Amino acid sequence: MSIFHSLNSSSSALTAQRLRMDVISSNMANVDSTRAKQVDGEWQPYRRKTVTLQPKDGQFSSFLQVAKGVHSHGNAGNGVVVSRVKEDRETPFKLVFDPTHPDANEEGYVEMPNIDPLREMIDLMSATRSYEANVTALNANKSMLMKALEIGR
Amino acid sequence: MEIYGGTINLLEKGLDYSSAKGKAISQNIANVDTPNYKTKNVNFKEVFSNEKSKSLEAYKTDSRHLDFIHSTTSKTWDLSNLRYRQDRNGVDMDKEQADLAANQIYNSALIERLNGKFNSLQSVIKGGR
Repeated sequence: MSIFHSLNSSSSALTAQRLRMDVISSNMANVDSTRAKQVDGEWQPYRRKTVTLQPKDGQFSSFLQVAKGVHSHGNAGNGVVVSRVKEDRETPFKLVFDPTHPDANEEGYVEMPNIDPLREMIDLMSATRSYEANVTALNANKSMLMKALEIGR
Repeated sequence: MEIYGGTINLLEKGLDYSSAKGKAISQNIANVDTPNYKTKNVNFKEVFSNEKSKSLEAYKTDSRHLDFIHSTTSKTWDLSNLRYRQDRNGVDMDKEQADLAANQIYNSALIERLNGKFNSLQSVIKGGR
């Protein structure tokens, strides 16, 4: 295990949280996009995207370390990883009555993306706070490493 | 007669623990948004005694031989029964931040003490000059 292990954990989390923020920005930007992709000649509205996170352990090397009995901090894990970016197919599209819209159907309703700006704002705040917490952890561990360099000065 | 005494070894064990703790805290904070993640914790004192008897013993023909595993003073494990959030994630951010601060202070106290030890040795070597 490298001495920079804890810094790597925190930085993997910073990357993951920034990706979450990017996906949220994309959702917010596309709140009115009615033409995201074409299915059978019909335009589909943009679908809200969500990020799935998972701990970055359970790799072969970590199991091997445990089996060998070298669990001196071996099973502390390696941070977090984005396992996938998924489209939200649970929430239905919003129907808005607007007969003048070019994508309106025969009854005059337009399918709008299934994005709730409030929900996105809350996710954004959560991502920001997590990012800040990881910066704090990174700084604390960094200053501990810097302090270790002073041993014997 | 050992000139360093036991202090430096003890301080080293303490630093080992503190670095393991730092890793566990980073890992917990990194996974604060991961569903089903369980908090990891490091223990120093309690595990030491029973872990030593469990681990594989080296066959030693000389007192200077080392054990196979000589740094199992601290062990990381999951707190699997702890959860208080809807997504079954067990990370308590307030506790992690407090542990982070405590660990930092503990670490600098150890290093301060280690430096004090080295300084007094240096003063002995120089004959008080």
